[in-house]
Amino acid sequence: MAKSKETDVYRKDASTKHNLLTLKQREDLIKPYLPKAPKSSPTSKRSRPIREFLRNQFHLFVFIIIHLLFSIYIRIRQTYHILFDRALAVLYYHHRAPELIKQDVKGLTRFPEHLSVILELRGDERDQAGLEGLMDELAEIAAWCTCVGIPMLSVYERTGILKHYIPNTHRAVSSKMHSYFGGDVPSLQVGAPNISSYLNGNAAPRTGDASSRHLSILLLSAEDGRSTLVDLTKTLTEMSQRKKLAPSDVSQDLVDAEITESVMGEPDLLILFGQDVKLQGYPPWQIRLTEIYHVQDSNGVGYQVFLRALHNYSKAQMKFGR
Amino acid sequence: MHLSQFRRWLLQSPPVEWAILQLRELLIGALRQGPVPQHIAFVMDGNRRFARQHGIEIVEGHNQGFEALAKILEVCYKSGVKVVTIYAFSIENFKRSKYEVDALMDMAKVKLAQLVQHGDLLEQYGARIQILGQRELIKPDVLEAMDRAVELTKGNGDAILNICCPYTSHAEMTSAIRDTVVEWSQPMEAGPQKEERHFSERHIVHNIRARRLSSNNSNTNHDRLSPNNEALALRSHSPSSGTASDTEESSSDPLTNSSSSTTLNPSTTRSSPPLSSPTSSDNLKSDNNITYPDPELITPATLTNHMYTSSLPPLDLMIRTSGVERLSDFMLWQCHEETEIVFLKVLWPEFDLWGFLPVLVEWQWKQQQRRKGGDVDGQGRGVGKAKTR
Repeated sequence: MAKSKETDVYRKDASTKHNLLTLKQREDLIKPYLPKAPKSSPTSKRSRPIREFLRNQFHLFVFIIIHLLFSIYIRIRQTYHILFDRALAVLYYHHRAPELIKQDVKGLTRFPEHLSVILELRGDERDQAGLEGLMDELAEIAAWCTCVGIPMLSVYERTGILKHYIPNTHRAVSSKMHSYFGGDVPSLQVGAPNISSYLNGNAAPRTGDASSRHLSILLLSAEDGRSTLVDLTKTLTEMSQRKKLAPSDVSQDLVDAEITESVMGEPDLLILFGQDVKLQGYPPWQIRLTEIYHVQDSNGVGYQVFLRALHNYSKAQMKFGR
Repeated sequence: MHLSQFRRWLLQSPPVEWAILQLRELLIGALRQGPVPQHIAFVMDGNRRFARQHGIEIVEGHNQGFEALAKILEVCYKSGVKVVTIYAFSIENFKRSKYEVDALMDMAKVKLAQLVQHGDLLEQYGARIQILGQRELIKPDVLEAMDRAVELTKGNGDAILNICCPYTSHAEMTSAIRDTVVEWSQPMEAGPQKEERHFSERHIVHNIRARRLSSNNSNTNHDRLSPNNEALALRSHSPSSGTASDTEESSSDPLTNSSSSTTLNPSTTRSSPPLSSPTSSDNLKSDNNITYPDPELITPATLTNHMYTSSLPPLDLMIRTSGVERLSDFMLWQCHEETEIVFLKVLWPEFDLWGFLPVLVEWQWKQQQRRKGGDVDGQGRGVGKAKTR
């Protein structure tokens, strides 16, 4: 950090497009802040090994102190967030009542058309409990989306285990919907990219209200990220090799259209339920302008997180680079 | 008012200033003791909002943002970060007012030109500057200044500063795909490989025909089987050229003209009988003498190598200021896997060591937790290095 006196000089110089000071003056201005010249360091190191060693030890000591303090701080923060989370969970419990959920989101001006969530498979891939837990979380989120009126939900899970159980997932979500809506279950479609989707039998509209409620669930995995772009590249390459396409035809619009068609469009809101803000291989093309919501030190899927995400989304404004 | 003046006076007094400087050096030195992210990306958001809040001109806000950048870069390189990537200008930013775009470009030009004047200093301390993005969208005079800066800092090895201008990740990914397509559409030179082989295909075909004829003449069950075995053996021992065309050859019949069998005409080569007449295979040869690399060899790593950041370490940390929780078309390919993404509420011109330090410490802490957790598969890259310093 430069001294403020020198900052002033620098700014005055900058305001005249750096014509005020000469080259030499400017170099003198910054010289005190530069580290020792790296070329001379080997000699000084050799002459003062003890000093260097002591300095290192001191730095290590400070490092340990910082991390000690930080780990205390982060424990307190985590505890605070867990308590806060619990309190919210008690305050805003949905009681599986669509009316209550509607009440919770009443004041919001804007809803995502396409919501995306990242779920994590706990435990082993072969573990039945992990799979069931995943389905249950998915079913809960699906039910909330239907209550709020979000028509499109995409669920990313790295391993893609749910893709092997599409009918089971459909059944799990349907039965959850039953417990929320009773007999008046909205139509539901569960699918995955390049896998035929599974639509429920009673999709025929019965009443005006029920027909307007429809939820499409798209199951995503790591394969739909980079691999899809690689597959597209392979196809384009083959076409180019057969002279069906010139490389200059490969445009951003073409890639966008193909990726949107084969996987999905850009989601409006992405909710992370995990601890860190990591995308875990989420499709890279589609998260361009997606609002990413996460709760610090979050511990799992919860209705209060979902609700806070929607509230946050409603307040945010889109700028599109302007 | 008096209090704030007193505080300013106190902070500007030489002993306090000296103490703060020492404290900074100490903290940075301490940070070096732990794992340090090798590659950090910044989205410098909030310059305009800062200007609006402080009642200064937007251009002045950008200027202050530049100063903040210089400070952050100092912290980064002193603490051992190898690569810093900054989102200086998006292709979408061209939509802003012409006045602002021109001012930004002008600023870039002036700052880079000024940088270039200090050639010897840069050589000692400076980072290598790289410009990532769609160069064709930049005005020629700015481009010239950029090229000079890049050229002059080319020799500086230790640290790298990537300036993304004008950049969007979609454009980057598209150009990576296009470059891959172009690369794969270059015909491979099949000529020299053919000359290295010692066996003539036509001779082998003749040989097999002769054997089949003789076995047909002998007319015993046992003998009728043997040519098939012979052919199978031939199939597995067919001379391979040891290049990318291997996979193609193994999928098509080795007895037909293998070097000409490409994806161009898989149906003709595969449907032709195993012992097609030599004349027809000669015709094939003259028709498509071009061999292309197999598209199946394209992997995510291929695309990664065609990104602007191909030779750099993977992105460890991405920081976006001003509370906007979006990636805004920045480094999507690079950051969607293991990168830690941090969204900060602070506006970019206000971002300094004291805002940066907690982020770095938390990153270090998470790395250590992960190491304790036992899975250090490639994520704790910086960890091993720390102890040797």
